[in-house]
Amino acid sequence: MAKAYRLIFDENLCIGCQACNVACRLENDVPEGVYRLQVHVTTQGVFPHLGMHFERRSCVMCDEPPCVSVCPTGASFQSKDGLVHIHESQCITCKYCILACPYHARFINPLKNVVEKCTFCFDSRLSKALDPACVSVCTTEALRFGDVSQENSAVAMLSRKETLLFPKAHLGTKPKVCFIPARKGVKV
Amino acid sequence: MQGSLRALEPSILKGEDKWVRSVCEICSSRCAIEVRVVDQKPVWLQGNAFDTRMHSSICARGLSGVSQLYDQDRLRTPLMRVGQRGENRWREASWDEALAFVASSMQRLKQNYGAQSMLFSSKTGESFDLLSSFAANYGSPNTFSHWSSCPIAIESALEQTFGERAYRDFEHADYIVNFGHNLFEGLDIPLSKAMARFAANPSKKLIVLDPRFSIMAGKADEWYPIKAGQDLAFVLSLLHVWLRDAKYDHAFVRRYCIGLDALKASLKETTPQWQERYTGIDAKTIERLADEIYRAAPRCILDWGHKATTSPAEFQRTRAILIANVLMGNVEKKGGIYFAKTPEMLNALIQEPLFPLLQSPYPTPEVGIARIDGAGEEGSAYRFVPKKHGVLNAIADAILTQQPYAIKGWFLTRHNPLVTVADPQKMRTAMASLDLIVVNDIYMSDTAMMADVVLPEATYLERDESIHLHHGLVPSYTMRNRALTPLHRTRSLHEIVRSLADALGFSHAYSWKTMQELRAYQAKGNSALLESLVKRGYVQATIPHLFLREEASVRAFCERYAHVELRHVLEMFERRRKTPSGKIELFCAHIEKAFEGYGVPCAVDMDVQQNYPYTLISGKSAIHTNGHTQNVPYLHALMPDNPLWMHPSTAKAHGLRQNDTCYIENEIGKEKVKVFLTEGIRPDTLFLYMGFGRQTPLLPKIDRKGSSASKLLSLKTAPVCGAMITNTGVRIVRA
Repeated sequence: MAKAYRLIFDENLCIGCQACNVACRLENDVPEGVYRLQVHVTTQGVFPHLGMHFERRSCVMCDEPPCVSVCPTGASFQSKDGLVHIHESQCITCKYCILACPYHARFINPLKNVVEKCTFCFDSRLSKALDPACVSVCTTEALRFGDVSQENSAVAMLSRKETLLFPKAHLGTKPKVCFIPARKGVKV
Repeated sequence: MQGSLRALEPSILKGEDKWVRSVCEICSSRCAIEVRVVDQKPVWLQGNAFDTRMHSSICARGLSGVSQLYDQDRLRTPLMRVGQRGENRWREASWDEALAFVASSMQRLKQNYGAQSMLFSSKTGESFDLLSSFAANYGSPNTFSHWSSCPIAIESALEQTFGERAYRDFEHADYIVNFGHNLFEGLDIPLSKAMARFAANPSKKLIVLDPRFSIMAGKADEWYPIKAGQDLAFVLSLLHVWLRDAKYDHAFVRRYCIGLDALKASLKETTPQWQERYTGIDAKTIERLADEIYRAAPRCILDWGHKATTSPAEFQRTRAILIANVLMGNVEKKGGIYFAKTPEMLNALIQEPLFPLLQSPYPTPEVGIARIDGAGEEGSAYRFVPKKHGVLNAIADAILTQQPYAIKGWFLTRHNPLVTVADPQKMRTAMASLDLIVVNDIYMSDTAMMADVVLPEATYLERDESIHLHHGLVPSYTMRNRALTPLHRTRSLHEIVRSLADALGFSHAYSWKTMQELRAYQAKGNSALLESLVKRGYVQATIPHLFLREEASVRAFCERYAHVELRHVLEMFERRRKTPSGKIELFCAHIEKAFEGYGVPCAVDMDVQQNYPYTLISGKSAIHTNGHTQNVPYLHALMPDNPLWMHPSTAKAHGLRQNDTCYIENEIGKEKVKVFLTEGIRPDTLFLYMGFGRQTPLLPKIDRKGSSASKLLSLKTAPVCGAMITNTGVRIVRA
């Protein structure tokens, strides 16, 4: 049966330490200067009425991925589990997908000269039933990953308990990555 | 990318694939880790799940252990100075030559000036224990740990108040008041994780006092941008309200404490109104918080932090916080504070040797000569500073004046005082006058630049080490197991010290030559423990957590160990404490005798700004460890410098904009800074992350990048505890 993967980022637990960012670089040998994953920390408001916002930026693995439909060679494709991947050998670096992605998740790997992005660590981890590197190392366990169709999975239970927000939901891309927004601090 | 897997031959990614469990050392939290080693090369690091608090979690710095290991800029071979001291002219040397030079130079200094003319310094931990033993056997009392530049006020306040260390049960607390203890940047994974769960739980309450909107402040229910250095005023008024309204645990204080009357007398005037002008927090807020905290007690913690050193009154600040915990009666309560349950204590209680006892492999005989700083000597300003740790701020003057006796040499183990200690300008001058400086480190450092001999050390992934016992609710044991043999011609401090001990003629002091022998000696031949630690890296027996004043906890313990009598457990808390009075000391008579006004918390020495318009504060980042990791490729890419945090209104007043360059200065020094505008700081306060502004031409990537707060800090120390004071007054000067 096909999986319904979901990655939940709890902004309340995230401390912006960048362990996920470095884990991703180490696991996937991401070259200097480009990122598959970053957490941006911003302070909002006016002193002393402030809030801190933690935004996880990576591919959100859309169910309706704009990057796949624009790809002229079929290099960008979706697996039967709905994961979006790139056949490196078919990528002609035309950058259509980079422009089409509303999440700015894709970039050109300067060493390979192909487009690259988060894969949920599919080859090295997920295909061996291991969590993606970022989830596995998170210092405060702010990331949960699993199959939301399995009723007893951590992500299914968390999804029932919390109100989840899906980034840029209005675009109809149906991301598999979602977040639990911060409950504290001023909102701008 | 340099320092990444790509720098290695692709063939290494095939072949043997194993996990080694060890202990991290990218910072001093020393979390339990496991290393994936493919064909003898570490390729991945994560938390060691045998420590259940870790799971597989690890921080960005911990992960970058691999990046550090493969960094091409590491020291690879011994270096000997050829030019003037600090001139940066070197030649490569063999280990035999370098160690022979060190041994003969140390021998010469000992003959000419006495062994006490050599100083030895290292961060606390295994290297410090080893170095202290080496120093003592050589004959010098002058060992220095990092304590006086870091946690000494807390260690000292705990010792004077309780006679031992206390720990915080964040996990079960309902309410925490945090005084700038930035656990989300100065990471300790088990503690940070517990704190993150606490902060994210809507039924708990977190109050943060910090002049800066830190990550911790970002997670608070209420953040108060307290004026820098004024924590003491806040706590004194909190205590005032509780004593005024008789809101404290009367039974606990009566039975276990001394000095309540002296405390009351000292706090008569420290009203909520009084503290307003110091902290900037209004009196009504204090009244409300005092009430909330009292109602949350005893599942409430006033968190004394780790390193704070907010003002000269640091000892008073920390004692006041400890006393607030005591008045709440949270001692040995779940969700409060507790004392270590040691192996000896638990073995005696359950009448079986469940927890192995260790013997120290590092004999440290008493030297019998007074230290240069007078630490631990009756009549000295530093009489309450432990002899073992010393006062780093006292070194420069002692060298420059050659008082109380000749000081000619310094042996530093991964210690970089030109970055981490106050007034490095003066320290550099002092160092220039020494006859011998020996530094062992994994990278060239500002301090190593001043050395005669630089000994390249193996990184923690390349070293086997001894067993470390961790105290807490349940004792645990960790051991560093190397993931690979050293990549370069580097050695461990154990190898260095053992060779030097042979050459200096005190080889007999050590009952070990190899690490295997050392471990066996330390474990008293307990091979089961050693096997377990080689395999797992972390060992902890499962017993119920024991809070001695929590009836449910004591009962649960007695159910698990049916032969243990309830009264025996309860009596453990009734024992005489290791303080002069045998009780918890709200008032310390012996401190008062030596430092008038310091026996009981009171409003003294709180000014840090000293007529300057701004206070400069500094702190840790989650990306770098103090002055240690700036060159690690992965971490350098994330954070190559440290611009100065400045409020926009402050910048406007000086005509400064984002990324402008200016200077901050005071009577100690002047430092160039780049402006970072943020709403997250008080307009009268400026902030720098630690460890930048280096002078290390051999590391061009980090040389002269960013700014050093140490260059503006005075060598003046906090009374009683001897702590370096890391907040200081400065003015802003246009470039």
